[in-house]
Amino acid sequence: MRRGFNFPGLAFLQGLVGLALFVWVWHLIVASGAVPRAFLPSPEATWNAFVRGVTIGDMREQLLGTVLRMINGWLLASLVGIALGSAIGISETLRNYLRPTLAFARALPASAVVPVAIALVGLTPGMVLGVIVFGSIWPTLLATVQGFAMVDPRLVEVSRALHLSRFDFIWKIGLPNAVPDIITGMRLSLTVALILAIVGEMLAGQEGLGKAILLAARMFRAPDLYAGIVLLGLVGLVSSYGLLLVERRVARWRR
Amino acid sequence: MSGKSGSVVIEFRDVGLYLGGKEITQNVEFNVRKGEFVCVIGASGCGKTTLLRLVSGLYQPTTGSVHVDGKKVDGPSRDVAIVFQDYSRALLPWRTAAGNVSLALEAIGMPRAERADRIHALLGKVGLAQHAAKYPSQLSGGMQQRLQIARSLAQGASILLMDEPFGALDAMTRQSLQDEVLELAADTGATVLFVTHDLEEALYLGDRVVALYSNPGRIARIVDIPLTRPRNQLSTREEPDFLHLRRELFGLMEEIHA
Ligand SMILES: Nc1ncnc2c1ncn2[C@@H]1O[C@H](COP(=O)(O)OP(=O)(O)OP(=O)(O)O)[C@@H](O)[C@H]1O
Ligand SMILES: [Mg+2]
Repeated sequence: MRRGFNFPGLAFLQGLVGLALFVWVWHLIVASGAVPRAFLPSPEATWNAFVRGVTIGDMREQLLGTVLRMINGWLLASLVGIALGSAIGISETLRNYLRPTLAFARALPASAVVPVAIALVGLTPGMVLGVIVFGSIWPTLLATVQGFAMVDPRLVEVSRALHLSRFDFIWKIGLPNAVPDIITGMRLSLTVALILAIVGEMLAGQEGLGKAILLAARMFRAPDLYAGIVLLGLVGLVSSYGLLLVERRVARWRR
Repeated sequence: MSGKSGSVVIEFRDVGLYLGGKEITQNVEFNVRKGEFVCVIGASGCGKTTLLRLVSGLYQPTTGSVHVDGKKVDGPSRDVAIVFQDYSRALLPWRTAAGNVSLALEAIGMPRAERADRIHALLGKVGLAQHAAKYPSQLSGGMQQRLQIARSLAQGASILLMDEPFGALDAMTRQSLQDEVLELAADTGATVLFVTHDLEEALYLGDRVVALYSNPGRIARIVDIPLTRPRNQLSTREEPDFLHLRRELFGLMEEIHA
């Protein structure tokens, strides 16, 4: 089905070449002097700032802060999303009632609710967590609803013929059927959670990479700023790839 | 000579069914006795699967009633197991063969500690002991169907409904599964209602054959099969009675299709 996976080594190499090209172009732009170094440092300067940051600097603590914030929000969003999604997905009636509302809520960018959240609870860590949860819950919630809605009618008959309880139906048929969708949803949720963790830090001044790059920008420390951005990119890359692996493992019964 | 002489376990009492405003089943009336093996034949779309759904309680009749063990059917019962026509859709793709059998054991509340032995025994019965850890997608069609049969046996039901279970299988697989099913039925003493559109299969397996007309589905004929048991793929199919009945039913089916 997915051709590329026949040559994982090749795909990996191609990815590296692409990355190298990107860095090279970056280097050329800086070397040409078209952009002031205060706005765009060279790859070497960024790399040095990166190494300094993670060895003698505060970047490790900042990274930990951001990653924890992201993961806490994401886990909470996943838990609530799966529970709510199961409850909605199990009932066709409920699905029909809630579909437009869900579509509406999902279309709201999480940043749009930030002012509301600030007004309600103020600039607290709880508010940041709440915004992360609210913003990142949708992919998981909707994927869960979808996974439940897509249970083969034959399996519904099987469970009726076997007299499965409602709980057993959810636990043994509905949820497993939804798992591949749920993991895909969770992968998308994680990306949103990272973005919102950073935005939250910038707004609420919580310790983390988001706050660090904001400060670096204000103090015109371009290499530090870019080192932070690179590290954020790495967090996104690693987490998303890790979940992709989980996704493939969990769905191995799907051909 | 008409089949077994036990008590009546499945009763169709003048059953009629409408679905989406269309008359699917009309005036169906017949009984199946304990331990009997009754086959239902008829053209595609004549309502064979519908009859099984009525017995299993997945459908409710519009008129008349269906009774199992003297009780009116008003929903699925654990004493009725069903083997679906489309086996690939009826198995849980995320559970191994053992896990699929386990589902039926979990449903009847068998303690975890007892399940493993029972699963092993059931998979052995249908020749899948070596494949316990495989997922349905790793099994051939015949093996998936065997797995569905093992799951239906796990339920411990005394009534087995089978819906064209061998419809999509090659001739050799089909014959060996026919013999396996006959053996299982004889071993367990189960009452079997078996749907097929293959007239010879119906004759080979059944004590009686119910032939249906189409549009709406109603009974055309009920024929006794006085062939001795155990049956044998070669000798049974050469018996004069078999050949005679085959000719008779063939004529009937031509008439039905006309
Ligand atoms: N839920 C439903 N709503 C409306 N019509 C239905 C429904 N289920 C079945 N039918 C119709 O009832 C008729 C009998 O269907 P059934 O599945 O019992 O046929 P069958 O004899 O098992 O056919 P086959 O040999 O192809 O499996 C068909 O015409 C079918 O279109
Ligand atoms: Mg059918």
